[in-house]
Amino acid sequence: MKVLSVFAAALVLAVLAAGPAVAETPAPSIGSAAPAFALTTIDGKPFSLADAEKANSLVVVMFISTQCPYSNAYNDRMRDMAAAYAKKGVQFVGVNSNKTETVQDAVDHARKHGHTFTIVKDPDNRVADQYGASHTPEVYVIDKAGKLRYHGRIDENSDDASKVTSPDLKNALDALLGGQSVAKAETKAFGCSIKRV
Amino acid sequence: MKTSARAAAAALFFLLSSAPLAADAPRIKGEIDAKQFHDLIAREKGKVVLVNFWATWCVPCREEFPDLVRLEADWRSKGVVVIGVSTDLGKDLTAVEKFLATNDPAFANYHKKSGGDDQDFIDSVDPKWGGELPFSVLYARDGHKAAILSGKQSRADFEREIGKLLKAPAAGR
Repeated sequence: MKVLSVFAAALVLAVLAAGPAVAETPAPSIGSAAPAFALTTIDGKPFSLADAEKANSLVVVMFISTQCPYSNAYNDRMRDMAAAYAKKGVQFVGVNSNKTETVQDAVDHARKHGHTFTIVKDPDNRVADQYGASHTPEVYVIDKAGKLRYHGRIDENSDDASKVTSPDLKNALDALLGGQSVAKAETKAFGCSIKRV
Repeated sequence: MKTSARAAAAALFFLLSSAPLAADAPRIKGEIDAKQFHDLIAREKGKVVLVNFWATWCVPCREEFPDLVRLEADWRSKGVVVIGVSTDLGKDLTAVEKFLATNDPAFANYHKKSGGDDQDFIDSVDPKWGGELPFSVLYARDGHKAAILSGKQSRADFEREIGKLLKAPAAGR
């Protein structure tokens, strides 16, 4: 019995040692409950995801950065989509989890780029950890029941908004608002690692 | 004596005159897509391979890169191959060349082919990769993917993983 348990422990260790080492917690799977969080907005107001879910049809949680060129490539798209979808009952929430960026940096950045959507600072990157968010920009769409419905990129062309062929976030929002499931619920794109504590 | 001095002078002249040409030569070895990337790894079978995906716009990539240059110089003779893959946009190739000229890596660097959907390339490298940079992958001597390292790593982090793979017996021995 002892030999068996030693063997089992060795096997587990061997498997763990051989497997790829990923730094972050995996993202919650599509259809599972989105981790609840409550943070303070960059203008000092309380924000709770649970309250946002109740008040809206959908909530878009976007991990963003003031410095990352890939995130910044989407500044105008974030502003325009947040405004357009606010009318349809979708709340956009920017989450800044980078330890290298201060609340004041986020305030200045939002002012400069006309970001009037809610932006929260995530001290100690706890929310990024809960969501398994690895980079910016990275978005999560959460429905009224608090379930994760989409995770990934805004679209496939960071370089040129006029040449986008796969507007994945827009497609996901339109499908969900139309009562349909999301055809492509998980997407990927290059981005800047979140600078964690 | 005179002849050999003349030959030495000619050789010195050749070396000096060819130096600017070498410095101006493109440092990017070529563009690769997902298939070419995997062909590249397959060709290094028998060695421990560390692939680093980077971009000039990525601050932690730029911070990490000099460590990789030094690491490669120290581990090359022990059977370790380092390969760099820039994921910069095609329009930023001048910045890529400038970055490589500054850091002067002895290892090969490639540029991920522009166009197409980056998701296909990302997934082909590793399904667990979300697209964050820097991102490194270690392949064992038998060619199997042994570890993925997300985000900026220290030289010690890299060396720990490399050390494990060098200690492991090569498949088929």
